[in-house]
Amino acid sequence: MTVMLRSESVSRRFGGIQAVDNCSISVEKGTITGLIGPNGSGKTTLFNLITGVYDPDSGDTYFEDKRITDLIPSKICHQGLSRTFQITRLFWELTVLENMIVPIRQVGVRAMLGPNMFRHEVDRAMDLLEWVGLTHLKDEPARKLSFGQQKLLEFAAILMADPKMVLLDEPAGGVNPTMIRFIMNLIRELNSKGVTFLVVEHNMGVVMELCNHVIVLDQGTKIAEGSPKEIQANPIVLDAYLGN
Amino acid sequence: MEFLRRWWKVVVLGLLLVYPWIYRAPYYHSLGFKVLLFAMMATSWNIMGGYTGYKSLGHSAFYGLGAYLVAIAANDLGWHPFLSAPLLGLVVALVAMVLGWIMLRTSGSAFVISTIAMLLIFRLAALNLRGITKGAPGMSQPLPPWTPEFSRMPFYYYMLLWLIIALAVSAYIRRSRFGLGLVAIRDDEGKAEMVGVNTTLYKVLAFGLSAYFVGLGGGVWSYFTTHISPIFAFDIVVGVDMILMTMIGGLGTLWGPVLGAFVLIPSEDFILFNFGSTSIYLAIIGALMIGVILFLPKGIIPTVEMWLENRRTPRAAHQDAMSMAEMHGLVDTFDKEKGK
Repeated sequence: MTVMLRSESVSRRFGGIQAVDNCSISVEKGTITGLIGPNGSGKTTLFNLITGVYDPDSGDTYFEDKRITDLIPSKICHQGLSRTFQITRLFWELTVLENMIVPIRQVGVRAMLGPNMFRHEVDRAMDLLEWVGLTHLKDEPARKLSFGQQKLLEFAAILMADPKMVLLDEPAGGVNPTMIRFIMNLIRELNSKGVTFLVVEHNMGVVMELCNHVIVLDQGTKIAEGSPKEIQANPIVLDAYLGN
Repeated sequence: MEFLRRWWKVVVLGLLLVYPWIYRAPYYHSLGFKVLLFAMMATSWNIMGGYTGYKSLGHSAFYGLGAYLVAIAANDLGWHPFLSAPLLGLVVALVAMVLGWIMLRTSGSAFVISTIAMLLIFRLAALNLRGITKGAPGMSQPLPPWTPEFSRMPFYYYMLLWLIIALAVSAYIRRSRFGLGLVAIRDDEGKAEMVGVNTTLYKVLAFGLSAYFVGLGGGVWSYFTTHISPIFAFDIVVGVDMILMTMIGGLGTLWGPVLGAFVLIPSEDFILFNFGSTSIYLAIIGALMIGVILFLPKGIIPTVEMWLENRRTPRAAHQDAMSMAEMHGLVDTFDKEKGK
């Protein structure tokens, strides 16, 4: 098994809070890895450190054995590492189709000065929209979509960048059970095509069913990892969640 | 009606081409020149302020820089302003990109304040670098070689040409991948960066481009007035006017800044003429601005578009309902039963 993403003892402090504390994780290629932990344990901060939103105070992150610590977020995205947000973020005034087009990798002056969408890009976007069931909304502004549709669009849009790995921040948060099942199936389908996932999720049912490896954070550092079964039985994890 | 909808651009262009021959007094030529100049500069400002959402209050700095560069080139090198303005505009754009690279680390009100600070620095420099700018009294440059009564007309047509070019650039950008990236930045910059848009590069390029036509406009203006001084060249009101025009016409629309210039400049002149040069004209303009903000907060073009859309809405809503029903297999059965 090869390692896709690895963070080595990264730390980040905000004022008096050590949000991420000497944390090392690694995600193997082709897996769906879960990242769980109580509220405030540093999951989202770790995501932000990996994707370049924040620079770590110390430590390094490697993606496919390439150091990405100092890269700006757009460059990290170009390496093939994409993410979604805990609170869905879309380009609200742009149409659904335009939201799909923006993430397509654009390099060089010629790409930037080309038309805003090429035929083959539209075809590809429409295929993906059909896959998540949003085809009929393609010309609506994103703000008009329902909450669940927004989540699906955000997910479909980042796939336009052909990511090798996707970080999902609470894909099942605030979504109804039918939609959760739908999203889980989408993740599994992509995973079978070779995309690696790192998923932050509070819904333990989803984590246990979806993930083949789980990492547990508490107070900014890794306290346990293993298969979902091992994690469920781990007394340290239970302590972290329930307090002792 | 259908004819106008298809050919209105040609009609407007035709009217603008014959205008100086119908209104032959130099005053009308000056007025026309000023309208076209500001329409072009507002179009340029709109690339940054409208498409990208970064509202610069300091674009007068590029106006003044263009004015001084062109004046100095005319005096020391003998370059004709009509040729040097488009060239020296590139220098202005380059300066804007370097400064933008620093200022665009901020956003929102911090960015606005940094652009004002930039303008004040330029003005201070123009006042004090006497060796280059001749300080507060300002500098003159050679008069145009044309006869006085026609001296305004070449300016008018020259500006018309550049307005068309600026509009073409603005329209092209709006439809390009670059423009889509700019609008994405306006919507959610962090997200844009996260999905792979190099936001710093995009913003700096947009800033430079939006400074280019303003610098060019300043250069042509300096030739037009023949005498420039720091307080007029680096006057914040010039930049504010560009913003007002864009807001009146429609922020982030292609034609909004042009429409705004065609409304604002003549009405400013009209009020100034009818109420004298007392400060009352400022009060009237202020009242007009409040009216626009209250009743047309999005500007004329988006508001009119919304009215038109609302008039069409009943049908659109019906179509939406029908397509929803169709999706759920309701229409099909309904239509079939009706068919029987």
